[in-house]
Amino acid sequence: MGEVAQRDAPLLDVSGLTKRFAGVTALDGVAFELRRGEIHALLGENGAGKSTLIKVLGGIHLPDAGDIRIDGQPVAIRGVADADRCGIRIIHQELSLAPNLSVAENIFLGREPCRFGFLSRQAMFAAAEALIERLGLARISHHTKQTANRVPLLRGSSAGADSLARTACGQAVAHRSEQCGPGELRSVRAIVSELSVAHQQLVEIARALSTEARILVLDEPTSSLSEAETESLFVTLNQLRSQGVGIIYISHRLEEILRLADRITVLRDGRSVGTQETSRVNQRELVRWMVGREIVDYFHRPPHHPGEVAFEVSDLCNDRIDNASLQIRYGEVLGVAGLVGSGRSELARAIFGVDPIDHGDIRVDGRPVSIRSPRDALKAGIVLVPEDRKREGLVMLQSVAFNVAIPWVDDWIRWAMPNNRKRREIVCRAVHGFNVKLSDPEQSIDGLSGGNQQKVLVGRWMEHRPKVLILDEPTRGVDVGAREEMFAILSALVESGMAVLLISSDLSEVLNMSHRVAVYRDGRIVRTSPAAEITAEQIMEMLTGAKTDEVR
Amino acid sequence: MKSVKSMLPLIAAMVVLLILFRLRAPNFLSPENLIDIAQQVSVNAILAFGMTLVIIIGGIDLSVGALLALVGTTTVFILTEQQSETQSFARLALAMTTGLGVAALFGAFHGVCAAKTKMPPFIITLATMEIARGAALRFNESRPITIPGSETAFLAMGNGWLFGVVPMPVLIMLILFALTAILLHRTRFGQHVYAMGGSREAARFTGIPLVRIEVLVYMICSVLTGIAGMIHTAQLYSAVPSSGVGFELNAIAAAVVGGTSFTGGRGTMLGTLIGAIIIGILDKGLNQAGVHFSFQHIIKGLVILMAVYFDVRRRK
Repeated sequence: MGEVAQRDAPLLDVSGLTKRFAGVTALDGVAFELRRGEIHALLGENGAGKSTLIKVLGGIHLPDAGDIRIDGQPVAIRGVADADRCGIRIIHQELSLAPNLSVAENIFLGREPCRFGFLSRQAMFAAAEALIERLGLARISHHTKQTANRVPLLRGSSAGADSLARTACGQAVAHRSEQCGPGELRSVRAIVSELSVAHQQLVEIARALSTEARILVLDEPTSSLSEAETESLFVTLNQLRSQGVGIIYISHRLEEILRLADRITVLRDGRSVGTQETSRVNQRELVRWMVGREIVDYFHRPPHHPGEVAFEVSDLCNDRIDNASLQIRYGEVLGVAGLVGSGRSELARAIFGVDPIDHGDIRVDGRPVSIRSPRDALKAGIVLVPEDRKREGLVMLQSVAFNVAIPWVDDWIRWAMPNNRKRREIVCRAVHGFNVKLSDPEQSIDGLSGGNQQKVLVGRWMEHRPKVLILDEPTRGVDVGAREEMFAILSALVESGMAVLLISSDLSEVLNMSHRVAVYRDGRIVRTSPAAEITAEQIMEMLTGAKTDEVR
Repeated sequence: MKSVKSMLPLIAAMVVLLILFRLRAPNFLSPENLIDIAQQVSVNAILAFGMTLVIIIGGIDLSVGALLALVGTTTVFILTEQQSETQSFARLALAMTTGLGVAALFGAFHGVCAAKTKMPPFIITLATMEIARGAALRFNESRPITIPGSETAFLAMGNGWLFGVVPMPVLIMLILFALTAILLHRTRFGQHVYAMGGSREAARFTGIPLVRIEVLVYMICSVLTGIAGMIHTAQLYSAVPSSGVGFELNAIAAAVVGGTSFTGGRGTMLGTLIGAIIIGILDKGLNQAGVHFSFQHIIKGLVILMAVYFDVRRRK
């Protein structure tokens, strides 16, 4: 095989990889190298380009420029099928299993073994069992046994799950589950939705490796795993490494990376900052590497003239939020720093009345308000610009004017008498007041750029001046120019006395635009401090799991 | 007007159909014939107005045909319960309120189920369709209940004329058209309906009371069905428990031919009215042109396909 001839060439060699999306450069000449039998960690802040890189490798995005070589041979990855042929297997953060099918059916999805054109279940089950045995995943089952009480999904409802599995797969499962203890990846016939997340992840891995895989990419595989489950995963990964598979491992958790990876590559703003042997770096250096960008001066931090307390949340709890408390004064920005998936958006949703609150107090101007729906929140003077602009923010089918005017229908329609002059005025104030670039207010909002859509969303809420403005990821998918404008708008609003809650996964944004910073992790505010007294490195360490006593 | 301009292809299609049928049946465009078509269109148009609202918010109501029969039988049952030679307006009022009350109850149930549970509206209304049909068949051992000739006021709903020119069903249909068009296009309720149909999530984050809107929309659809049921019953001079089969599909067809988007968020009352008229012209015209009824179905199906195909393509 050519492999022998090319022994010296790295398994995967990426150079000069560039990818632009409508004016935003996601990857800018990225270089990256993966050896056989290596676990190579890919590290970077949110938006640094990690996911774009793996999407290029996986054939989901086409690169604009750059070279990808496997075993020294240049390859063109023009689609998922090409990536597949190159032996690249990607396990995305969101699992992509069919929850209603069995483990074996998922592993062979799309490549079901057939006999005379008919699905051969027996062959499939046998092949799946052999595969799990070969990969050493079966041993995982014993490992996870000790975590039995940590994953109630599988264990707590064991009896119920059994009966379900029985109806779905017939007698075979019943007989199997009697053999296995309740904590195991009990059978290739088990229905995936009844497995714990950890086991589902194993099924993903098994599926990825069911055909000859040379490069395995894992994107944040441990984000929903318990510690013990993480350990089991590491055992599997180490075993795959010894079998010569090249593994690209993406995670925010530095401790994990330092333990697991052979080498680490850091990406920042779409460029590869460098690659280093893990033994030569420590956590502190990594953090500095990740966040160490030059501070671009498009931030206009508004002067801090705090007024009365505008808004106060105490001991807010629901199934995603764990006793969150915060306080914002008029003319102040409270930044919430948290990683993707830490529950930051859930906090905003709960405060705005979209998600139910179990208990906790919300006060506006010192008076308690009861918020059970967004309507209540609006009445109390709280507005939210949501994270997912296209899904939660705007009615994409409709015009710009419709989207601006819809919250204020009461102002321009009395009974069946729409006052179109008034509607135009409302639309005008938002569009001109916030410098939205458009040709006609009646044009479809779909045609506006991300930045302009965002300005529409902020602008429309200013019609009735709110007391508290919640911005959830206000600059996501927005180019640099619009970002700057967004910050200027934010500054002006704060200077005029508004209280702002700024949620962002971009640390520099939080640090440079807020007066105080709340560090948010796992549904909890870990620490709140004045922005001047905390550094990006300290926040990153708190977010990525370093112990708090290391911070000072 | 933007909305009227977007109706032009539909209006053109309507005119083309009229001319085509005029070629086959010379008296097709006579006033009598046109009024006849209008009269036949009325019931379907009223059903389609409600269906349009439901489809715009992303729902569907399959119970319409069965509910139409149930309201008809309920109303006539109360009306004829006591044998009497004279008509009593008190009894008529009671009968009609009960009929519409039953309809409103069904609508409220649909709305609450759709808003508060995860059951899809298709299934909810499929179930209530069976329930309503069964309830209608309970009356008079499933046989038609004849409306006595003395109930002139009720019968006038289906057979009366205003000034001897405009048939009563057409008049009621036009009034309901005006009301629902105003409701959809000129009130805040209508704005909320469009927002909710365009994106339920965005509507939620804008503070729109989704549950209230959804319940109201289904109630309006059912009450309109109730009114159509009474007209239909009066037109037949009797309440037929097994009537109205497939009416919901005709109403959906009218809405969709009229440009209502099945994925929600788009549609107008004027479009639906024209859609109902096109289907009416088709029914009547094919009949008068002597086309075998088997071909009538096939042609109608093809026309619906064509209308929706062009509508979807135009929007792309």
